[in-house]
Amino acid sequence: MLDPYILQQLAIGLSLGMIYALMAIGFTLIFGVLNVVNFAHGEVYTIGAFAGLMAISAFGPPLLVVLFIALAAGALAGFGLERLAFRPFRRFSDEASLKSRAMREATLMSSLAMSIIAREAMEMIFGSQFQTVDLAYLINKPIHIGPITIVNGDLIILGVTLVMLGGLQWLLKKSPIGLSIRAVSNNALGAKYCGINTDRTIIITFVIGSAMGALAGILVGLYYGAIFPSMGFTPGIKAFVAMVMGGLSSVPGAVISAIILGLSESLSTSFMPSVWSDMVAYAFLLLTLIFFPQGLFGARRERV
Amino acid sequence: MSNILEIKNLSLKIGIQDILHDISVTVPEQGIVSVLGANGVGKTSLMRCISGIYHATGGEILLQGEDISKLKSHEIVERGIMQAPEGRQIFSNMTVLENLVIGAGPLGRQELDHVLALFPRLEERLKQQAGSMSGGEQQMLCIGRALMRKPKVLLLDEPSLGLAPRLVGFICELVSKIRAEGYAVLLVEQNVKAALRISDTASVIEHGKIVIEGDASALANDPRVAEAYLGGHVHETA
Repeated sequence: MLDPYILQQLAIGLSLGMIYALMAIGFTLIFGVLNVVNFAHGEVYTIGAFAGLMAISAFGPPLLVVLFIALAAGALAGFGLERLAFRPFRRFSDEASLKSRAMREATLMSSLAMSIIAREAMEMIFGSQFQTVDLAYLINKPIHIGPITIVNGDLIILGVTLVMLGGLQWLLKKSPIGLSIRAVSNNALGAKYCGINTDRTIIITFVIGSAMGALAGILVGLYYGAIFPSMGFTPGIKAFVAMVMGGLSSVPGAVISAIILGLSESLSTSFMPSVWSDMVAYAFLLLTLIFFPQGLFGARRERV
Repeated sequence: MSNILEIKNLSLKIGIQDILHDISVTVPEQGIVSVLGANGVGKTSLMRCISGIYHATGGEILLQGEDISKLKSHEIVERGIMQAPEGRQIFSNMTVLENLVIGAGPLGRQELDHVLALFPRLEERLKQQAGSMSGGEQQMLCIGRALMRKPKVLLLDEPSLGLAPRLVGFICELVSKIRAEGYAVLLVEQNVKAALRISDTASVIEHGKIVIEGDASALANDPRVAEAYLGGHVHETA
């Protein structure tokens, strides 16, 4: 029988992993369609948390509505981000420039710039300290299951994430939009020849990915009761690590890696001080880059 | 017969480079027209202009009288031009069926049976990853994907490239069969012999300009074509 402490840590780790997974999906989808890393993804997470917080303090809606508001704010942020930081650099439509290195470097800078602007703007408006969250909305009510204690937030995070993952899987595999997203990820030029509106597909990808990131933000904000303008940085890094471990553009790979990462971080606290648990992600990143540069699950090679 | 696709005085500059200069090609309804020439003379650039991947810097491209040269690639597909492009550009880590359905766009699986009848090999491989197939099968998928959309004009960019001679024959037969079903075909080829055999008219491009044009049978007997592309004089080989 497992030690109750370990079980407890596993439960926490699973929640953590699910949050990283929600974040990592956004990174992964966007990397898939454009071959670029969206450095503003962490700020989208923060925007989701703040949008939820503003809704709570303005009119105190039910939790589900708060989550939807965060989703919508994330979608809007994703849309704006693509328009401001990515679209202007995409002037030519042939294969060479669509996923070119120049484009990658330009958008790396522009998305980083957007992230700094967004973070500083939030600090100017809200101040850099923790925001007070209405206690009634915190999802940390304890639930006792046998020897271990989890909080209702663990269940909510698990439930919401599973719904989102299931929805995403359905979207990508069964819907025309999902087919377009996968087509653009796989071969952007081929997608153009098939009559897919690549610009629209890219926007939709940003909207979906950012909505999920924002949802992760509000969930974490209510789980820990800690909402502040720079809250997106650390989860952004973790999600980035999960994306790299998963092989850059594989959604299932990123989700599995995110869960592994969450569980490992949480279990690591049983044998080392918890302030060191962030090191786990960096260690994973290094090990992945050294030993599995194609990602843990191995990228498929294209036949020429 | 009326013309379905008319390319008039098309020119293309990329940076300071003149890629295409004053190109005019006409494709009649149910016609097979080929554009011939060696590597790097601008054939693929011409095809990319028609599909809206590049935008021509001069001239116009008329599809049933409407100028499409300023449209985006997806708008051009909507108006009825599909291309089986150079390098095939299939979705290699998706299944064959998914590739076909993406090509079909709003038509979904309407044309699936028809396309599978043309390419029985694809039917056996519907669930297989497209990238795991042989080059010839990928070429079939590429053409099949374009046909899924029931285009008014089918553009084929080097369909015979890298294929075994037996498959080149298959592709030639296929193009004739497609024409009999009512499609117009614009074909770009380096395999001049095969292309001239199935085409009605042909144009030869050199350095971005059309240097010879006319009926395919006339071109096949033209000493200039014979010397440059068919490896010898017609009189000797005929």
